[in-house]
Amino acid sequence: MTALLEAEGLVRRYEMRRGLLGRQVELRAVDGVSLRLERGETLGLVGESGCGKSTTGRLVLGLEAPDEGAVRFDGKPVPRPGSPAWRAQRARMQMVFQDPLGALDRRLAIGTQIAEPLEIHGIGAAQDRVAELLRDVGLRPDFAARYPHELSGGQRQRAVLARALATDPALLVCDEPISALDVSVQAQVMNLLIDLQAERRLTMLFISHDLRAVRQVSHRIAVMYLGRIVEEGEPDAVLRDPAHPYAQALVSAIPQPGKAAVRQVLQGDPPNPAARPPGCAFHPRCPVAVVACRHLVPELKPRASDGRRVACHVAQNEAMETAA
Amino acid sequence: MADPLVRIAGLRVEFDGIPALRGVDFEIASGEAVGLVGESGCGKSVTWLAALGLLPGKARVTGSVELDGQELLGAPMAVLDRVRGGQVAMIFQDPASSLNPVHRVGRQVAEALRLHRGMDGTAARAETRRLFDQVGIPDAANRIDAYPHELSGGQNQRVMIAMALAGRPRLLVADEPTTALDVTIQAQILDLLGRLRRETGMALVLISHDLGVVAETCERVAVMYAGHVVEEVSSARLFSTPAHPYTQGLLSALPPLDGLPRQHLPAIPGGVPDPRALPSGCAFGPRCPRHAALCDTAVPPLLQVVPGQRAACCILGADLPPAFGPVAA
Repeated sequence: MTALLEAEGLVRRYEMRRGLLGRQVELRAVDGVSLRLERGETLGLVGESGCGKSTTGRLVLGLEAPDEGAVRFDGKPVPRPGSPAWRAQRARMQMVFQDPLGALDRRLAIGTQIAEPLEIHGIGAAQDRVAELLRDVGLRPDFAARYPHELSGGQRQRAVLARALATDPALLVCDEPISALDVSVQAQVMNLLIDLQAERRLTMLFISHDLRAVRQVSHRIAVMYLGRIVEEGEPDAVLRDPAHPYAQALVSAIPQPGKAAVRQVLQGDPPNPAARPPGCAFHPRCPVAVVACRHLVPELKPRASDGRRVACHVAQNEAMETAA
Repeated sequence: MADPLVRIAGLRVEFDGIPALRGVDFEIASGEAVGLVGESGCGKSVTWLAALGLLPGKARVTGSVELDGQELLGAPMAVLDRVRGGQVAMIFQDPASSLNPVHRVGRQVAEALRLHRGMDGTAARAETRRLFDQVGIPDAANRIDAYPHELSGGQNQRVMIAMALAGRPRLLVADEPTTALDVTIQAQILDLLGRLRRETGMALVLISHDLGVVAETCERVAVMYAGHVVEEVSSARLFSTPAHPYTQGLLSALPPLDGLPRQHLPAIPGGVPDPRALPSGCAFGPRCPRHAALCDTAVPPLLQVVPGQRAACCILGADLPPAFGPVAA
């Protein structure tokens, strides 16, 4: 069986002007990302702001067309954005964003908003279908008559999920779905995502900066840095023994209650995607960088020892000769 | 505490008759690092805005806030001007909106030096440079003349910290100082705050929604819920033996880093109560698994559990099972 979603060498560039009369600068938000999502699997995409994780989410949904590379959904290429074929396919892939209040229309009752995708895709908007969707996300059916401002943050995010599930999608892309919620409510929404994923055999791309949350919901995680995936593997394997120096820094930055802080603090600022360092983009902040890292871009490939996919000369033991 | 640096007693705040703080008692010793944890709207920021007289005029503030024995609530402007930015400095979540975008960052720090230490000209510039070095801004000599938009979020937060240090504060209140920053930058800023505290001996109040961040940086933690402090405990005991069901719930809602993945978290049901319609008695009652009739009768006071740990709960006891344990299989 083919994977539900395959992305191959995605590149997305933006043109940016520095200053009023400055020259055009090219910003590579996504710089050669390949990923594979098996049916019923959740892939967690972690990284800091500006690493291209949200753009990657938009590219796989076809909300933006990649400058290079291709996305295949269910074995077929994703049609051009805006085309009728794309619209038809959109029913099978849905997106959930960070800010539920921004994602909902404040002037429409929740029930109307959940029924909208049913109408758009000609599925027929039966009232009991809306009630069923509300129940699925843990809201009472009478919430259909309420307006977004009458709901709490967690309830709004549940309503957004109900709307996303209305067309019974195969793929759900969640972009920081819990970041705007309170700690106690985050746990509720994560539980809901785990349940929905298991019950509906949903395939999920879970985008977050929070490694704890990503471990909580994902079968596999991919760490992004400056538009590239630098490490990919099972959540526990990556968290216990991160191979890439950047992943190591991310893991050690997780506040660990009760554990004395022997934190590895990364030096320097988060990098600027408009001025991508040559070679390995991480080398200016990397504590173990060798000469090769400055000019050779490392390739994401399985490590010899345990098959972990990592894009690092040092972790791959390739750089030792040049270092000497 | 013999002579606390700050003593907050019975602090209450109302906005248009809607309570935001409902009686907060809190003490901070000199040089101590205390964390203030809670969800949005619990009053953790309002406590300090009220203490420093920074709330808008429509807020009704009662109670007492003493700094070194001097009452701050209703104090004359001249006193508050000396305290704010001088003895007590505050930094906020979003450094970019705290800085003036049309002035160079060095000038903004120099302004604080002029106001609180009477420094001018070359002396102020030299001291600004020293402060920039102290907070770890690389290439300090040139960054002094940068505008906020030319610096990253982490660097702007360092500028804010430099500005806070300009008045040689005895207490730094950091309100979610790392929430808007990336994870790796958050680690840098927390390290910096810890180092500065050791170097200068100032006390630190770290306001955060993140239990992990607070426990790592602070010796003592106060957990707030719906305008009350519901538990006060050392960071060590916070994770080993939390007493209040809300604290226990917050801790168990944190996804673990080991054990079976993709298991249900023991989440606290429901949401934070609406301050316009607070439940009678304990505000956490409706969400609490230990809830009993007793809980609805009166707001429980903070009582000592063991020395160094106080909790505001009607049903306390060492032999009680955790309110939010791992979900039974």
